[in-house]
Amino acid sequence: MNYMILSATLLAIGIYSLLSKHHLVKILISIELIAMGASMNFVLLTSPSNIALGEALLLLAFSTDTCVTAIILALLIIAAKKYGTCDLRKLAEIAESEQDENDD
Amino acid sequence: MITELIAFGIILSACLSIYLDEAIYSIASLACTIVFLALIYALNGAFYAAIFQLALGAGTLAVLFLAGEVLSEKPSREKPLKNIIFVSALALLSLLPLIFFPITVMPANFSSDIAFGSALWDLRSIDVILQGLVILTVSLGIVIILHEREGGEKR
Repeated sequence: MNYMILSATLLAIGIYSLLSKHHLVKILISIELIAMGASMNFVLLTSPSNIALGEALLLLAFSTDTCVTAIILALLIIAAKKYGTCDLRKLAEIAESEQDENDD
Repeated sequence: MITELIAFGIILSACLSIYLDEAIYSIASLACTIVFLALIYALNGAFYAAIFQLALGAGTLAVLFLAGEVLSEKPSREKPLKNIIFVSALALLSLLPLIFFPITVMPANFSSDIAFGSALWDLRSIDVILQGLVILTVSLGIVIILHEREGGEKR
């Protein structure tokens, strides 16, 4: 129960950051925080005799987390190379102006 | 008491990692979060989880440091110390429920029914194989995305 409060707090911080920040590096950090808050339950909520199973599940959660991080990093590199910025608002503006140019 | 302090460290560093504007400071705070989380795993007897968390954190942070240094713009002005203290107070406030429901630490020297290797390879063997396939697919996908992007630039 107590670890669930800690986990929920981490999750809340991550979700708040995900919704309020616009830089891709910050978004990556908030996704890391959400993944940490979610995956810590695997270990901290298992009974002491079954903790190895919790660790095995945590390892599987880590691999998914790494995949998500790798995909966001690839997007970040592409955005920085193509548009020269990692700010989501600026990227949206650029995409809108490109769309308008294509329509014209 | 030590667990509550570590929990406070986790929340404070997580808050600072999203509050600080400069990417390098933000990533350094995330590093503290990862170290504190590994400590809490170790205190609960999950040593493999602590080691994996540290190893994975080291890799992620190395890449994030490089990406943060190269790709992020410098902030126009620094955050005042008053705001950082306010964020610390907010982190302390968010831990108030833990004072009413204190964290109980499991003994580190218990006798486990299942070994880690057995749990991973006997109980979750299909998951491990499928995760390997997922990682392979994702890495191939990223290679293709970056390769196509380079091809597009050449054209």
